[in-house]
Amino acid sequence: MSKVKVLVLTGFGLNCDNETAYSFDKAGAKSERVHINSLINGDVNLSDFQILVFGGGFSWGDDHGAGVIQAVRLKTHIGEAIISFIEKGNLVIGICNGFQCIVNLGLLPGLDNDYKTRSVALTFNDIGNFRNDWVNLKVNPNSNSVFTKGIDQIELPVRHGEGKFYCDDSTLNRLIQNNQVVLQYATSDGASAEGKFPHNPNGSLNDIAGICDPTGRIFGLMPHPEAYNHLTNHPNWTLKREMIKRGEKQSQFLGIKLFENAVNFFKE
Amino acid sequence: MTHRIEITLKNNLFDAEGQGICKKAKNYFGITLDKVRVISVVTIDKNLSIEQLKTIQNHVFTNPVTQISSFEPIDIPFDWIIWIGYRPGVRDNPGSTAMEAISDILGVKFAKDESVYTSKRYCIEGKSLQFSDLSKIATELLANDIINQWKIYSKNDWNKNIGIGYIIPKVRLNHTPTVTLIPIEEESSLEKISKDRNLYLNPNDIPTIRNYFLRKEVMEGRNSVGLSDPTDIELEYISQARSDHCNHNTFRALFRYRESKDSEIEIVDNLFRTYIESPTLEIKAKKSWIVSVLWDNGGVGKFDDNNYYVITGETHNSPSNIEAYGGSITGIVGVYRDPMGTGKGSKLVMGGYGFCVGHRDYKGELKPKLHPRRLLDGLIEGVRDGGNKSGIPTCFGQVIFHPGYMGKCLVFVTAVGIMPSKVAGEPSELKKTSPEEVVVMCGGRIGKDGIHGATASSDIFSENTPAGHVQIGDPYTQKKMHDFILEARDKGLIEFITDNGAGGLSSSVGETARFSNGCEIWLEKVPLKYEGLDQWEIWVSESQERMTISVKKENIETFLKLSQKHEVESTIIGKYVNSGKLHITYNGKTCAYVDMDFLKSGFPQWEFDAVWQTPEERGLYEPVISEPKNYELLLLDILSSPNISSKEWITRQYDHEVQGGSVIKPLSGVYRDVYSDAAVIRPVLESNKGLVFAQSLIPIYSLIDAYHMTAATIDEAVRRIISVGGSFEHIAGVDNFCWPSISFDPKENPDGKFKAAQLVRSCRALADICLSYEIPLLSGKDSMYVDGHIPGKYGETHKISALPTIQFSAIGVTSDIEKCQSMESKFPEDLIYILGVTRNELGASEYYMNLGYTGINVPKVFPDSFKKLYKALETAINNEWVASSHGIYRGGLLVHLAFVSMAGNLGIDVDLNLVPCDSDYRDDTILFSESCGRFIITIAPEFKDKFEKLFNGLPYSFIGSVTKNPDFIVSGKDGKTIISLPVSELRSAWKKPFGDLI
Repeated sequence: MSKVKVLVLTGFGLNCDNETAYSFDKAGAKSERVHINSLINGDVNLSDFQILVFGGGFSWGDDHGAGVIQAVRLKTHIGEAIISFIEKGNLVIGICNGFQCIVNLGLLPGLDNDYKTRSVALTFNDIGNFRNDWVNLKVNPNSNSVFTKGIDQIELPVRHGEGKFYCDDSTLNRLIQNNQVVLQYATSDGASAEGKFPHNPNGSLNDIAGICDPTGRIFGLMPHPEAYNHLTNHPNWTLKREMIKRGEKQSQFLGIKLFENAVNFFKE
Repeated sequence: MTHRIEITLKNNLFDAEGQGICKKAKNYFGITLDKVRVISVVTIDKNLSIEQLKTIQNHVFTNPVTQISSFEPIDIPFDWIIWIGYRPGVRDNPGSTAMEAISDILGVKFAKDESVYTSKRYCIEGKSLQFSDLSKIATELLANDIINQWKIYSKNDWNKNIGIGYIIPKVRLNHTPTVTLIPIEEESSLEKISKDRNLYLNPNDIPTIRNYFLRKEVMEGRNSVGLSDPTDIELEYISQARSDHCNHNTFRALFRYRESKDSEIEIVDNLFRTYIESPTLEIKAKKSWIVSVLWDNGGVGKFDDNNYYVITGETHNSPSNIEAYGGSITGIVGVYRDPMGTGKGSKLVMGGYGFCVGHRDYKGELKPKLHPRRLLDGLIEGVRDGGNKSGIPTCFGQVIFHPGYMGKCLVFVTAVGIMPSKVAGEPSELKKTSPEEVVVMCGGRIGKDGIHGATASSDIFSENTPAGHVQIGDPYTQKKMHDFILEARDKGLIEFITDNGAGGLSSSVGETARFSNGCEIWLEKVPLKYEGLDQWEIWVSESQERMTISVKKENIETFLKLSQKHEVESTIIGKYVNSGKLHITYNGKTCAYVDMDFLKSGFPQWEFDAVWQTPEERGLYEPVISEPKNYELLLLDILSSPNISSKEWITRQYDHEVQGGSVIKPLSGVYRDVYSDAAVIRPVLESNKGLVFAQSLIPIYSLIDAYHMTAATIDEAVRRIISVGGSFEHIAGVDNFCWPSISFDPKENPDGKFKAAQLVRSCRALADICLSYEIPLLSGKDSMYVDGHIPGKYGETHKISALPTIQFSAIGVTSDIEKCQSMESKFPEDLIYILGVTRNELGASEYYMNLGYTGINVPKVFPDSFKKLYKALETAINNEWVASSHGIYRGGLLVHLAFVSMAGNLGIDVDLNLVPCDSDYRDDTILFSESCGRFIITIAPEFKDKFEKLFNGLPYSFIGSVTKNPDFIVSGKDGKTIISLPVSELRSAWKKPFGDLI
């Protein structure tokens, strides 16, 4: 069977494309970094791929709301192609700036099969600043999300200034009811962060760190799974190594596990 | 027709920016603001239909979930309103991206005189606020008069229908570009013009310049192209090239050095050649991993067979001192262009920073332009936006507080890149320009930015004159250019690449044309931000985000097409030739015609008298202090002193993990909150090799002797590298000197000869230590004139000179990142060892400084004995016998034991009788001496024998154990417990000064 093909967007200030492509390759896919303009001008065809990745970075400098201008550019030029890509049963993941972008495109939350309307937002962190730290994430076992299958908890880094998840109450209730809330910030022992900084690093409503659409095939999250592509990425890896040396068991998922799930989705 | 749209968060959403302003107003000035709501204002200077406006309002400028917007002023409750916008000509990054988005969604183009401007309106609520409060907040918190304009409205001033009106900070110069001839009949006339035009020609250079233009063959040549007297553009070119900044005249000067005032004169001819170049070349001959040094924008070392790393360091002090944010963002974004312009171009993989400022809570009578607190905030934010938005991890940094930096702050920025060893089959580190290749300017456009540095005075501002000398880096534009350049490089389209930094095109074209031996530049082709620049201004402008690239004729079409794909502006501005001339025309008319070799010939060397006064001659001595009785309080106080305490709030604002290769992060430990010795990254994701990087900065030792300051600084950087698992065999350095003026003047600089002697001594230490440790200096930078004249209480000014400062950056390669080690203690019962000898070296220590003394026993470096220890530690870490490894740096043994313990959140129990010392010392000497060459190591008990055998014959000792109980216990020489504190108490003391900052 030929490898699952992954398109990772690049250009215009996006900056996690190399490690994202690397992580997908490590997960068994064949990834290609594609400049946004190459997709728009038709040099590269979206229909040749199975997974579309909106990665991290500062597209257009994030000057008018994170991910906004990227969404405008894509919607204006290839909005329909993206919709038909989704309709074919393919996967989409938006990470950090990519999450912000697909929320602005309206691909998420995808309520009532509407993939065009903005109904949730990622806005400025309550702390009023950019923050880079690791967080612990609790995974909703009942969510449809293809990406998080078999994971109960995962530690990942966050690196953003605009990651506070926000929407109105009725939307939030529907997301919860539909099990579209996939990832929530938690304390180190796995309890809910309950909005408390620094466990919830940005003041997200309901500790939300990632959501999916009702089908589970479109997934967006603020933390960076591609930045946990090697055991040495973990902030306490030297301690974990020491524990293993002295006979203590350590189990952990690398962020790549999310990508492996995505690749395996096409093999089932 | 002008349109204005106002956007703000919905009323029920928390306004974090507004809240931040309330907090700062309270903390900085004690002004209580009840509430601040921020409105973003986008002013569009272009005719658009109502329908078009609706489209951009709904799709670009308003998030329906979180925001509301209006073409009328948004009505929000307020007692006062402050509006802040840019001055004309200041880089408005959000304005440019708004134009991109509008063009895109509407399918329209912006004409030359059409634009978008962004500004902010702050709606402020507060009881009994006075105009003076608002004025303070506007001028000292929100705006900087150099780049911003502002307005303050009371309730009565505000017209809710008109709002702020339509403010268009457009540059209108109404000026026809003119080349001016400079008469040279007399040397004095040239001197006068140099002064009038801020050319800063050195008076000693003037005869050389004048004689050149009077030479017969030169005059004939000039006549043949229609020129006679030198033009302003030619003199600007010469002035730029001869500036200390570009030509390093100070470091290339002749020094008459005396060891004391009656000693014989020793001549040091050229510090650079003697103490930097020649040691580095000597080391290069021994080390095959040194690829390229001393000529390019950065130095190049070997990472592995297929990849080279590139490193360079810069400072950006003067601009940052005036406009902290703009200065530091321009500094970091600027230094990132150096590796991009090294060899055929490298990909940026890591950045570092160092800030030296006055005390954050300074309450004295001096009134610097920016209070250190505000200055530091701006510096932090500039590096944050510059680094984060470039997608380059900021992996290491330091902050030093000292009153000497009140005159001028220091901003060090370091950049590391990586490039393939071969590009299109050719060695990537080599490049040259050849005749008939085209000169391409790539990236941003040219305005009056940065012309003549930060020297222009602010009184030239009017409503439509550009705020010329201020630059604001634009990481977005540069990131696009970076991606483009790498793709062009890999396609083999680049023959030569260099950045446009100081001196702009004048430097970049001037230097690249030396390879082909000449160029023809067509200045009218250069893309401008606005019309009306004189030819010389285009030539020397320091507008940012530009590279100069040489491209073969046959490749230019492909190159430009690729550039278009990345939406990066690239323009052919001339060609390289082999005429021996720098030939510039404007619309076909020659405006400069200078021999390429002119700059290399016959300019007089600078000269300095340097007279050292020994610390004894200066009256320094060891203070008379009896032994402290309360060591617990002493430890807690030192942990909460500004230079020791946690600055986690800065580190966390910096993305240090982007690119996915983070191995040792800036913060370590179970709570990820204690500083690591060094950073390690995996720059090539497929490889388990790592780059190890650290910086050190200990200027305070200059109070005693700049020689030992420099030696200790280098030794610290080396230990940082070794401590995390770097290899002693492969360490490269970058020296960044920041020195006060060394020109003696009886009135203006009475201690100039002493400062010159400090510089000579510092350079000697650099050479001595680097030769002994075999560290090549891959790159370096000298920044002189770190002095400022600061107004005092009575209308007088005070000259404040910085401490002679060197930041030393060290980089190395580790063959297996999985063997790297961090600094936190890891397991109870582990054994704690001290490596290295503690000496009576409390001079200028944190301990003495806290008690108000300097002392004289400055820490010294003994490289020959130290390096044996370092190599042994490297082996121990490689053999995986070590459970934690940490150097002992500023603050001494006690402070660093506290760090190890806090990071592991485990206790320690140690006995000072066991610490290896060269004599019998008091407890305070052992605890606070800052002797170099030392480490704290913990190991699992099972490795005791192997570890001790390895260190047999070297100075080391077991001093105690890690304990499960998180108590920090130290017994003194008399066997009694002198410290017993919970680790949590250490942590809260350490976080006391800045722990609440985010």
